[in-house]
Amino acid sequence: MRDLRQQIHDYKHSGTPIVRNGFVVMQYKQLVDWARGNSVWPLSFGLACCGVELMHFIASRYDFDRFGFALRASPRQADVMIVAGTLCNKMAPALRAVYDMMAEPKYVVSMGSCANGGGYYHYSYSVVRGCDRIVPVDLYIPGCPPNAEALMYGMIQLQNKIQGVKSFYMPDYTRELEQNDA
Amino acid sequence: MMHKRQQALSVRLKSLCPDNRVDYLTNMPILYGEIDSLESIMQHLQTHDDLQMNMLLDLCVVDRLHYGVDEWVGVQGTSQGYDRARTPLDQQSLIQEKGRFEVVYHLLSTTHNHRARVKVSLNHASTLVPSMTGIWPNANWYEREAFDLFGIRFINHPDLRRILTDYGFVGYPMRKDFPLQGRVELRYDASLARCLYEPVTLENRVSTPKVIRRDDDRLSITE
Repeated sequence: MRDLRQQIHDYKHSGTPIVRNGFVVMQYKQLVDWARGNSVWPLSFGLACCGVELMHFIASRYDFDRFGFALRASPRQADVMIVAGTLCNKMAPALRAVYDMMAEPKYVVSMGSCANGGGYYHYSYSVVRGCDRIVPVDLYIPGCPPNAEALMYGMIQLQNKIQGVKSFYMPDYTRELEQNDA
Repeated sequence: MMHKRQQALSVRLKSLCPDNRVDYLTNMPILYGEIDSLESIMQHLQTHDDLQMNMLLDLCVVDRLHYGVDEWVGVQGTSQGYDRARTPLDQQSLIQEKGRFEVVYHLLSTTHNHRARVKVSLNHASTLVPSMTGIWPNANWYEREAFDLFGIRFINHPDLRRILTDYGFVGYPMRKDFPLQGRVELRYDASLARCLYEPVTLENRVSTPKVIRRDDDRLSITE
């Protein structure tokens, strides 16, 4: 049996929770981030064809509920706003108002070329050249429109961001678990 | 079958509206109306037993500014082997107010199963066009759209205001002399805590085709 002091030292280095005999020891912040990252409630803000790909991600084939996402119709209950589609000048103040209504901590995902930088409508007189001119964006998903898998990948990266994971890859907790139990 | 019915309609229109020119193009008779008599003609088209145009399918506007005039003149330019147009003509000299705008109506009779197109040319951009809301109620939004995008005024319209563009929008964006990227752009200002418009920072971008390949077989250019 390894010394607990040594295990805490290792934990500070690796950030991997100590798992032993069905108990988990981790920092409070890490626990909160873990919980927060696994119950991200997006606000439904489908503006154009990206909204249809968003629906594919929601629907049974990719089933975004299994990642802990649950679509909310009210900004008061939402954690993340997925700007899915072309943001027009007329819609922009409404988008900002909805963003201001969301409770902290809040995140914004810009989905597709139009939301990223105007895209196909970059030279249009009526389109905002990127939704980051209106709201601060945490994550950009490229594509026109990005397919449901791309959105899924992006949303997993957002979860990682919320959980403070530095790597682009999901950490392998199971390996650590086996080592500890060995 | 459809073709014959439409031709029969064309002949009927000619006899029923002797004061107006009637053309027959692309499977559809075109009736050229005048502003002054437009309302009575339209009423006639809707109520006459042989016509019964009970649906207004579409109302649109044509802007003929620069129509038939090359906007850009080709200049032998680059080493890539094609001409790139560079010289804009003086746009002011091309504006012809008379006949610049044309309002087009598409009509359908669900009883006779025939369609017709009515065109009316405007002498001036501010010419008042009679509203068709009394004849076809759905003309309401079409006319608001035409007003919003082209600045055509419709007289006797119950609620003529913008329908698509932003509140407080200035200009008529579908007119040929409106810059593609507009005159203002939007951003959120954190210190004022609101979205605000600023002058556009993009260069004007001309949307007419810039490149004409002289060696293209499909073009019959002999030089």
